[in-house]
Amino acid sequence: MELFRVSRDIYGREVLEGMSWDLIGVFFGIGCVLIVGHALYRLILAPKQR
Amino acid sequence: MTDSSAANTGATTAAGKVVRHVGVDRLFHWLSAACVLILLATAFLPILGVEFGWVTIHWMTGLVLMAAVLFHIVRVLFWRGLRSMWMGSADVRDVVAVVTATLRRDASGLPKPGKYSVAQKFIHHAFAVVVLTTLVTGGMMLARIDTPWWQRNPYLLPDAVWGVTYVLHGLAALLLITMVMMHIYFALRPEKRLFLRAMIRGWITREEFAEHHDSRRWQVDR
Repeated sequence: MELFRVSRDIYGREVLEGMSWDLIGVFFGIGCVLIVGHALYRLILAPKQR
Repeated sequence: MTDSSAANTGATTAAGKVVRHVGVDRLFHWLSAACVLILLATAFLPILGVEFGWVTIHWMTGLVLMAAVLFHIVRVLFWRGLRSMWMGSADVRDVVAVVTATLRRDASGLPKPGKYSVAQKFIHHAFAVVVLTTLVTGGMMLARIDTPWWQRNPYLLPDAVWGVTYVLHGLAALLLITMVMMHIYFALRPEKRLFLRAMIRGWITREEFAEHHDSRRWQVDR
């Protein structure tokens, strides 16, 4: 998976175009993992009021 | 640091409710939310194969968000003040207390926050940094499209500068995907519903205030 999009200019040099859009799924996935992780934390590990 | 400056002091309504967000702050929040969702949709749906004329909607929504954020910055700097969102030593103590309580699995000694918890302050500052990054880089990128006010000029800056600008804009947009997901998740959690209601209707009840806030750190009208 690429992190950046690059192209070449008329002289053949690499030109940075931006972030790779392959990362959309990665950031969406991180969001899902954090949400599920927090929900599990609240369910299992979160401190209880005594 | 307490949230006791006049601008940050919660007021009570006739029904004994505590005003958490006045109307103009709620309007700013929901306008910003709508803009961010439109910007994310117009940015990413075409990449995912949903084709439509997204460019005009994207930059015009960006200008609306820019105006809203500028209004918010001016309002905070000159009227409301920074106190209620300021991170201080008390917030560090709160984080230590939460970690300790988690390890001991005992929440009975947890300190109550002022108007905003340390997590709420953190997410606010994270959104501030990321949204400002998109606005500054997006503002620069406006030079590369035709608008009613100017003709596009893709040669305004060297290629390397445009590359970094596009990387920062894209990275901030990608971060917004995760952050918006987290923000909506926390807003919908049962124990956080009072904050969602407060952002819609403006108030929390006296009981919620007593249960969730330290009255010394967020001083409301008696």
